[in-house]
Amino acid sequence: MLEAWAFRILFLVSVGVFGAEIAKRVRLVRRAPGRLSAGGVLARLWRTLVEVAAQSKVIRERPLAGVMHAFVFWGFVAFSGFSAVQFLKGLGLADLTGARWFHLYSLAVVPFAVAVLVGILALLVRRVVLRPAGLGTALSVESVVIGLFIATLMVTFLLDFRLEAGPAARVNWWVHALVILVFLVLIPNSKHLHLLVSPVTIFLAAPALGTVRNLDFEKEEVGLEEVKDLERKQVLDAFTCVECGRCQDHCPAYGTGKVLNPKSLVLGNEEALLCGSRDRRLADVYEAGALWQCTTCGACESQCPVGVEHLPLVIGARRGLVSNGEAPEYLAAVYNNLERRGNIWGFTSEQRDKFIAASGFEIFDQARHEHLLWLGCAGSFDADFQKALRSLGQILRSRGVTFGVLARERCTGDPAKRTGNEFLFQELAAANVEDFKRAGVRRILTACPHCLKAFVHDYRAFGFEGEVAHAASLLAGLLEKAPAPGGEVVTVHDSCYLARYAGETEAPRELLRRAGATIREPARRKARTFCCGAGGGLLFEEREEGTRISEARFEQLQATGAPTIITSCPFCAVMLKGAQASANAETQVIDLMSYLAGRLPSAPAPAAAAPAGST
Amino acid sequence: MILAIAEQHDGVLSGVSWETVAGAQHLSAVAGGMPVKAVLLGPGCADAAGQLAQAAVGEVVTVEHAALAPYTPDAFTAALEQVVTALAPAFVVLPHTYQTRDFVPKLAARLDRPLVTDVVSLKGSDRGPLFTRLVFQGKIAADVLPEAASPCFVTLQAGAFRADAAARGMAAAPVRPVQVSIDPGAVRQRPEPPFREAKEAVDLSKAERIVAVGRGLGKPEHLPIAQRLAALLGAEIGASRPICDAGWLPLERQVGSSGQTVAPALYVALGISGAIQHAVGMKGAKVIVAVNKDADAPIFEIADYGIVGDLFEIVPAFAAELEK
Repeated sequence: MLEAWAFRILFLVSVGVFGAEIAKRVRLVRRAPGRLSAGGVLARLWRTLVEVAAQSKVIRERPLAGVMHAFVFWGFVAFSGFSAVQFLKGLGLADLTGARWFHLYSLAVVPFAVAVLVGILALLVRRVVLRPAGLGTALSVESVVIGLFIATLMVTFLLDFRLEAGPAARVNWWVHALVILVFLVLIPNSKHLHLLVSPVTIFLAAPALGTVRNLDFEKEEVGLEEVKDLERKQVLDAFTCVECGRCQDHCPAYGTGKVLNPKSLVLGNEEALLCGSRDRRLADVYEAGALWQCTTCGACESQCPVGVEHLPLVIGARRGLVSNGEAPEYLAAVYNNLERRGNIWGFTSEQRDKFIAASGFEIFDQARHEHLLWLGCAGSFDADFQKALRSLGQILRSRGVTFGVLARERCTGDPAKRTGNEFLFQELAAANVEDFKRAGVRRILTACPHCLKAFVHDYRAFGFEGEVAHAASLLAGLLEKAPAPGGEVVTVHDSCYLARYAGETEAPRELLRRAGATIREPARRKARTFCCGAGGGLLFEEREEGTRISEARFEQLQATGAPTIITSCPFCAVMLKGAQASANAETQVIDLMSYLAGRLPSAPAPAAAAPAGST
Repeated sequence: MILAIAEQHDGVLSGVSWETVAGAQHLSAVAGGMPVKAVLLGPGCADAAGQLAQAAVGEVVTVEHAALAPYTPDAFTAALEQVVTALAPAFVVLPHTYQTRDFVPKLAARLDRPLVTDVVSLKGSDRGPLFTRLVFQGKIAADVLPEAASPCFVTLQAGAFRADAAARGMAAAPVRPVQVSIDPGAVRQRPEPPFREAKEAVDLSKAERIVAVGRGLGKPEHLPIAQRLAALLGAEIGASRPICDAGWLPLERQVGSSGQTVAPALYVALGISGAIQHAVGMKGAKVIVAVNKDADAPIFEIADYGIVGDLFEIVPAFAAELEK
């Protein structure tokens, strides 16, 4: 009797503390601005099922630790009924332990318990003995305690089969129950809150990687300035973070010795939300300068197993700084160039006109041209990238594809968007969309992944509905399948904006194979590619803290031994060529389009190669 | 009467003061020959007044007061408020400098009088002088006719009037010190000692000729080849990023997006591929001569004269020819 009452009191205390801590976090979420969007429910549910129930991402990105985690997760789910029945009995509500089904269920759970035990012990060894960098420099005592708790739960469960009814069995029962009650109290204040929140954050994460919604100036939105400006999903993200360090391991800035660590940003938010003033400046929550070291490569967000969205946070906080005139100095010139000349480098349109005339590109006419070939800043002014566009033009013409260019272009606004100058971005975007409508543009072709992302993800809100394709994707669908003989060895550098954001990793490889190249893959490739260092406005900041990201990437690519590096983005080419020059290396860097020129098998008759609607 | 407020620092008259006098004299001509007086403020203004008295002005008024050093907008506003009120001019003309931008709006507001800033030219009309200023980032020129009670404050854009156009007087103008009272307690600013940001020792942006070197130079021992050419041309040495990265030349010699932006009459690029990061720094150059052994180098897309070949043969031959 006394035992039952003691258990009831302990149960109430534990549930009470747990409830109070959870309520505190629910209040913080409810107080936060912004709406939680859940459009496309079926796709979201499917993703939640695949990533949570099937643990697909956890296993894919870190196979060994991932499988161990999956063991613990699945085992726990299977095991939960056992503990629930024990609790019902302990509270004196119902005793189902004698039921036949319970006995069978208990036996069925045994292999799961063993799996949990194996999993958690392996994870403990990883955490305590192997100590990977992603888990932090200091050993998390709390995580070790909780790991031992989980092991204890399994051991007490298994012991229960061996113990005769008596004092030993009672002690065993109590150990099991107490561990659960203490675990409950620990959950809200630890990374184990992800048990509850991660299915929610995975469900709520935007369908496309790196979605940063456009600000609504009508509502006087300026970005994230203070802790209280963090939006609902960002508050949930702060609580769901499981501190696994996948973001940190994949972050090119962190990996080259900079202060930015995506994990610290999220944990900084958690701490700022739970303690401290809501009026604290967000930029002060993080390491000084960290926000400006992000290349917006999206590796962190794409790696995160619990649906944390880092990009809206980084770009949102940059917006807050830019709106107060606190952008770094090197961006002032870029913004000025964008405002006055409509391109990132401040060239006059005359130079673009010269290039168009010299390459014989026609001015877009919707009656005659299927595609608008978008040059972008690099295509308009970077002599090196102009070569790539010329060879793209040749290939298109040889296959009978009709295209034209706009007489005047302005930057898509990608650099403004990613550096937080939302006002400038929206001005550029609205004006470009207006031009597209006036010219009757329905299909855009670009060789720049940054322009691609702006068109595909950010321009929809401005009423642009046309199709957009990267040149590599279009050509891969267009060119004859037969590979050319050859055997030149090349390596491929995947652009973050093409491989991660647009998901295009196969087309460049397919085209290279058809041009007769043998591809030697770098360790970091495709969706797990390593940034060149140009994105997020960092193209314009050549004085980096630590190692240059471009040089780190160049070394990775050089390590393949291939004499040629193929890029599909003008800015990757700029960065890697810079690194190549600094290293005084023989390895050459060449854009895919330039590489293809002259190496593709000669075209069959245009009429046969370009059936109507081939794109 | 027109007051020209000149600027001086520690007794040295700043060049822009002559432009201000020229502007005031021009205004006088279009406004029916109003007399022009000049004003100088702050420590050392008696010395500077000696120089300014050469101008064809009625007199030079000097204002010295302990509170005027160092410069603060509150003290300057208080002093000029008294001078302007006492002299009752029709126009007060000032140069559009950082200093006047700081205090003139306050001064005009204090006296509740109009202020026309950054004026590029002025002309007469039957309704009085019209002041032209550029608006909408220089896309439109607006003629401004001040209609409020005098005095009207006008600041002149640097270069709008030529300093050498200021008429000099037959004899030196009289210099008259005037007293002002400034309550030091009412000056709210407490300036820190002036400092200069670490300035780059070499200012390539002003260079008329630049010889720039890139990776094609091969090794630092080859630098003298370029330096000899630079000496013969009277040019500064510049470099692309890899050269400065490698420490062959100091960072201040770097031309490009993270280095200096240059606009020389002649830019000789030796062994520079012409990557966009370098090209943006030199796009203002009038004549670009490129020497590179790679005929496909992007530098040839922007060069006015391109020489495909070995710079170790071409540059010495070039230099030898110049030496003749």
